[in-house]
Amino acid sequence: MGAASTRNVRVFRYNPEEGGDGHFDSYVLSIGNETTTTMLDVLLRILREQDPTISFRFACRVGMCGSCGMVINGRERLACRANVSDIPPGKDITLRPLNHFPLIKDLVVDMQPLFEQFEQTLSFYEPKDASAEPALIRPDAPERAEIRNATDCIACGCCVSSCTMAHYHEDYAGPAALARAYALLADKRDALFEPRLTQALASCYNCRTEVNCTEVCPKEISGTRAIKYIQRLALTHRPEAPPERSQEPREAVAAARWPWADMDRATFLRHLGAGLLGAGTAAALLSVAGVAAIGPALRKKPAQWIPVAKVSDLPASQITTVLLKYDVQSGIYTQPVSRPVLVSRLGEETICYNASCPHLGCLVRWDERADQFRCACHGGTFDASGKVLAGPPPRPLDRYRSKIEGGRLLVEVT
Amino acid sequence: MEDDKPLEYRKRLQWGEHDPYRRQNTMIGMWAWLAQRVSAVALVVLVALHLLWTYVRLIQLLLLLTIAFHAALGLRVMLLDFNLVSVKHHRALIWVLTGVGVVVAAFIYRAIY
Repeated sequence: MGAASTRNVRVFRYNPEEGGDGHFDSYVLSIGNETTTTMLDVLLRILREQDPTISFRFACRVGMCGSCGMVINGRERLACRANVSDIPPGKDITLRPLNHFPLIKDLVVDMQPLFEQFEQTLSFYEPKDASAEPALIRPDAPERAEIRNATDCIACGCCVSSCTMAHYHEDYAGPAALARAYALLADKRDALFEPRLTQALASCYNCRTEVNCTEVCPKEISGTRAIKYIQRLALTHRPEAPPERSQEPREAVAAARWPWADMDRATFLRHLGAGLLGAGTAAALLSVAGVAAIGPALRKKPAQWIPVAKVSDLPASQITTVLLKYDVQSGIYTQPVSRPVLVSRLGEETICYNASCPHLGCLVRWDERADQFRCACHGGTFDASGKVLAGPPPRPLDRYRSKIEGGRLLVEVT
Repeated sequence: MEDDKPLEYRKRLQWGEHDPYRRQNTMIGMWAWLAQRVSAVALVVLVALHLLWTYVRLIQLLLLLTIAFHAALGLRVMLLDFNLVSVKHHRALIWVLTGVGVVVAAFIYRAIY
């Protein structure tokens, strides 16, 4: 049981004789029992007790006629189905007319756009065979189950008001009319399948799947589900071309816009299919060619042993710089490389150092007087065994693997 | 009072106009649609940044998350389009798919780093 309370009710007012933008009027009402008081009761009490000039529509009071649809605290509802207790205690009640309909006065809107939308989707039943007998439909028939409650629409306009796309697309038939069209399209007794599908498909792609219409429908009909059903019909049916289009001066209209503006859906999809197929083939061929061209360059290059010099030509107890010349196979061409190698015969074994400084790759040279390797770029200094003595190099000098074969010194390069 | 002056209609009210409680009562489906649109724009920007600085981890992470988010919401529309999930579950779809998307993105990020 809801307790008695005082509520501030704000009602949108628009006077057609004054024009303007409209405003809210506030009324304070004490309400006996919130759970048994509907918004319609609230409006009737304001009308009787406080302001006889307020205008709103209602008829059946039990949610059957769809006359009293309005926006109650930001949500489309029937005033006769919304209780005061639905609004959290202490909050204002805001009653405002539906969106997307011309406003006549206060909460009364002109429903003509909705009726025009119903006309747009041919929302009337045209029997295939004219029989005076009522049709017998089993309640468990699959068509009956598919259509479900879509025939219950009371045309209150809540869904159209909640649909943001109804505002942005002028010729959008809207969820109410499309749900009606869906109920008729799913009905196999109906004779107007083709023209109705054409009409419905022409505008059903304006749906952005926001599901607002389903959420607000007082009859729990899903406009979204209906629109998706119609969209899926496009997969299996080919709608006839709209007749008036062929009479238009097509070339003039098309040329004014862009060359493909005139193309119908099927042709567009065919061209798109051919285009995608072509692009796919080209992409496949190019990728094969690309892999063939680039692949070898990416492959790990095999190591090769390059002769440096005869051991007898290298002075003992000294460090000598020898210029190494060899070829590297890179992809489809051969790249000649020449780089210096520092050959140290100071100790018993022969060590070959990479002359590139491990810091940034400048060439390192042997300073005989200081007994050090020096890098001119950033002052890197190494001792005779390649160890870092000073400067920025992060690690000792790199060494080549080397071996002596038949009196010749060989190093391994990659 | 009896003049024949035609009534002057007020032009159609729009979403949120003179509607103080609209924003807090907006249905989540609309935010899902809007968020997907915005993430599409974000993707264009992030892909461009990704091409410029391929190995910046922050950009990679943002790109991955945005792709997961955008794909989850796109998947929602596809599932509803083909009636593979009933419209009555559409609210749950948003959270479940976005959650799955974030988890997948996290796994991919972990696999890379």
